[in-house]
Amino acid sequence: MTGLHERSWPGAGERECLYRETFRIAGNDYEHGGEVAARIKSIMKELGIDPGVIRRLSIANFEAEMNVIMYADEAEMEFSVGDGAVWVVLGDRGQGIPDVEQALQEGYSTATAEMRARGFGAGMGLPNIRRNTDVFQIESTPGTGTTLRYAIYTA
Amino acid sequence: MIHSILFDREKCVACVACSKACPTRAIRVRQGAVQLKTELCIDCGACIRACPHDAVTARTSSPFDLKKFRYTVAIPSTTFFSQFGPDARPAQVAHALTRVGFDAYYDLSWMCEMVGRAVDTYLSDCKGPWPKISVTCPAIIRLIQIRYPDLLAHLVPIETPRELSAKLIRRKLSQERGLPPKDIGVFYTTPCSAIMESILSPVGLEESYFDGAFSTAELYGPLRKALRTGGGPAVEPSFSPKGLGWAIAGGESAMMRSTSTLAVSGMRDVTYVFDRIESGKFLSVDFIEAYGCPDGCVSGPLLIEGRYAAKRTMQRIIGTLGLPNPVKEEKVRSMFREHFFDLEDEVKAREIKPLTRNLRQAVRLKQEKAELMARLPGKDCAACGSPNCETLAEDILAGEAVEEDCVFVRLEQLAGAGGQRRGAARARKAGGGAGRKADP
Repeated sequence: MTGLHERSWPGAGERECLYRETFRIAGNDYEHGGEVAARIKSIMKELGIDPGVIRRLSIANFEAEMNVIMYADEAEMEFSVGDGAVWVVLGDRGQGIPDVEQALQEGYSTATAEMRARGFGAGMGLPNIRRNTDVFQIESTPGTGTTLRYAIYTA
Repeated sequence: MIHSILFDREKCVACVACSKACPTRAIRVRQGAVQLKTELCIDCGACIRACPHDAVTARTSSPFDLKKFRYTVAIPSTTFFSQFGPDARPAQVAHALTRVGFDAYYDLSWMCEMVGRAVDTYLSDCKGPWPKISVTCPAIIRLIQIRYPDLLAHLVPIETPRELSAKLIRRKLSQERGLPPKDIGVFYTTPCSAIMESILSPVGLEESYFDGAFSTAELYGPLRKALRTGGGPAVEPSFSPKGLGWAIAGGESAMMRSTSTLAVSGMRDVTYVFDRIESGKFLSVDFIEAYGCPDGCVSGPLLIEGRYAAKRTMQRIIGTLGLPNPVKEEKVRSMFREHFFDLEDEVKAREIKPLTRNLRQAVRLKQEKAELMARLPGKDCAACGSPNCETLAEDILAGEAVEEDCVFVRLEQLAGAGGQRRGAARARKAGGGAGRKADP
């Protein structure tokens, strides 16, 4: 198992949860690709979360959701709203990532320089998720699955 | 803020066609009358198009307004020329404007071509965020102001050809005729309510350079007559085929050197694309031309000709214009450097006041809304006067409606009360007498 801990992820007791909802994502379900990210976005809008936070988390969620659809069998995306942050825990069952460090490298991708300049070509989208969030954590077991945890501070 | 949308209370039968058609859910029908939530209205004119009783119109100029000026000039929209069939040449149509009450007309098509070149110049030096979005359609700017504040940074900060033309012609006529600028009346012939609104309450500009705008539909009859009875001008002025192309979605993008452009039209499709730009998609697109009306201005709500006929006419007219000398690129570049094309003001977000700014309260309201939604039928019939069940739930939370406004809820309550009555009667017959008397 490989892990990467950049900034601390608070324990369950430390973060007060005001709102929580869990969404299921099915692997290979391109037809509904992006719908979970869109639903979370509309929840955040409804709750009056800062537009900049909504934008960043939506980009991260979309990348994460598409990763599941492209590479995993299924996953659950848990979205929660705390007093000072919005949090996502995404646990998937699937092939896992053999080399997390490599997948996290900016530009680990076959995309052109121009596409990269525009925010594309981030390989599996992990660097893009990391770039758009304040807290980012990944654990992966090849053959079993990957768990992503990320958050953005709102206060 | 002054809106251009007007409801005729006499003609309105309080159906819900306008309310259901409104893309921002700004219309309610309560106590048999239409109510406009002005903070949500973007003046797109979907309600004008949807009303089967001709009860929704736009606040446009009338011949009376021309009397306030010593000299009047009409600037016909590029779409205007799509209304009189392919045989009416733009020069004839424009000239006919001088026989329906205006002293002169001023061509817009060459300015469209210049602005197109200016946008192209802007794109080549621009650092993002991508994609850039055209400011041509005022309904789209207003949609972005209320619903997509994040996309404000994507707007191309270049003034529209119509406002730049109005600014120029007023200055030119004032010098030529020795009249104070305020004595010259500059009017647009508008295909839509949104442009009228952009004159009444401009965005990116302190005050519009127009004094008003005439509805194309209202000018249509007199102009047809003028076309039949009078000849054309002695010398026909030239029109820019590229500029006239702006009447149809895609005309502006066609002028960009970038091949990565996108033309999107109709509010549903526009919201589809904007939702995705917000989620970080479409990053490889340089320029997006977005219109509230399907196919662009050729289907404006204040036009006479149908959208397909207008589009075909426009394409045929453009085809017959040949290839006049294009606008000089170097000239546009130097004007661009001198900031001739710049939007005067920044476009700011128009915040819709939320019910609460407190996160805990917002979470509670969201739960209450979910509970309400579970009790409502989900048929989105709009008979309650809100455009759909979700909006009714929001209106109830805002204290503007009650659950009993829903006919299905009321039916259920009646059936429930009836059921109780019948139940009580049965209980009495059976000699139980225990049943509490139901409400009469």
